[in-house]
Amino acid sequence: MGCSLTKSAAEELIVGYAAGTLDPAARAEFGQHVISCGSCRELLAQQSAVWSALDQWQPLPVSPDFDGKLADRIARSPRASGWNSIFVNWTWRPLIPLAAACAILVFALLLTNSTQLNNPPPGNRSTLRIEQQVERALDDMDLLKQVGADVSIVSPAQPQKI
Amino acid sequence: MDSDHLDSSAAQPSWNPRVNNSKTAEASKTSERLLDRDAGLMLRVREGEEACFAVLVERHRNAVIHYLYRMVLNQAVAEELAQEVFLRVYRFRATYEATAKFTTWMFRIATHLALNWIRDGRHEKTQESLDRDGDGAVKQVRDRCRTVEQEMLYQAKLREVRQAIEQLPSKQRAAVMMHKYEELGYAEIANVLRCSESAVKSLLFRAYESLRIRLAHMA
Repeated sequence: MGCSLTKSAAEELIVGYAAGTLDPAARAEFGQHVISCGSCRELLAQQSAVWSALDQWQPLPVSPDFDGKLADRIARSPRASGWNSIFVNWTWRPLIPLAAACAILVFALLLTNSTQLNNPPPGNRSTLRIEQQVERALDDMDLLKQVGADVSIVSPAQPQKI
Repeated sequence: MDSDHLDSSAAQPSWNPRVNNSKTAEASKTSERLLDRDAGLMLRVREGEEACFAVLVERHRNAVIHYLYRMVLNQAVAEELAQEVFLRVYRFRATYEATAKFTTWMFRIATHLALNWIRDGRHEKTQESLDRDGDGAVKQVRDRCRTVEQEMLYQAKLREVRQAIEQLPSKQRAAVMMHKYEELGYAEIANVLRCSESAVKSLLFRAYESLRIRLAHMA
């Protein structure tokens, strides 16, 4: 034979009955119902067991220096007044990630520009090297002219004139 | 200053009985007067009367720490988080408005900190979360009236209860702790968790169903 109560109604009554929060009339009525309803009777017994098990869980004593530590923390915390009140104002909070993102972007741009100045692109570097080599070659030729050597450019196929 | 109704909007079950999820009428009137006093004290803190803050700490310190202890299952962490709760209450005193009960606001902060700690500490969970000593024994105040055998049985039961609580999803755990130990009604728990009353009932009933499965053998 099923219970006449809905599941949610039964739950609410069982929890209230075990907790002792039902008013006297409701308690008496549900008590009568439980006599004839096996499922509610079983659930009530289980809920009462849970309630008394939870009753046994007593908290630990609070540390004697709790208030002192709290007073120290309050004394050390910045008082919210003037400029401080602006920073603790909740309306500023959404702007903080945006400001952080802008700062990172600016830093990245500065870093990129600085890197380009110190390290020119590879194309410029090889041009510079060729120019230096040509200058050196011309300097060498001048030097050899001064000491009387024939510095005409000879291809490998032609024998060198002495 | 406003004072919220206790569970005035609790949904009625389809059956006849009236369900009153608060204390008896007289006790609830007393608690409402006390809670109104809390909001009044907090408004005076806002005006600069810091002695009133000390009164609020004295009145609610143990409740906050015990609630946090049952949430995070570690006394040292609970006290640390409780310090943070009161620090935030103090820090935001200038913007306090008595639009909700002071305890609702306070438990909201406490629950937020506890849920964050549970979420962030989940991968670091060790035996310390069960408040064990170095030799593995569970730290608990010994009752000198119990015999050694009774003490061992008690400690074993306690371990089962704590493990059953620890296995609850964090929001269900918060709802049970507020309902069972702080005796908050569905409406107030809904305000703390920022959800509907029906959502709170759903959380609570699922939590109790899980606890019945795990702890019913203790009957």
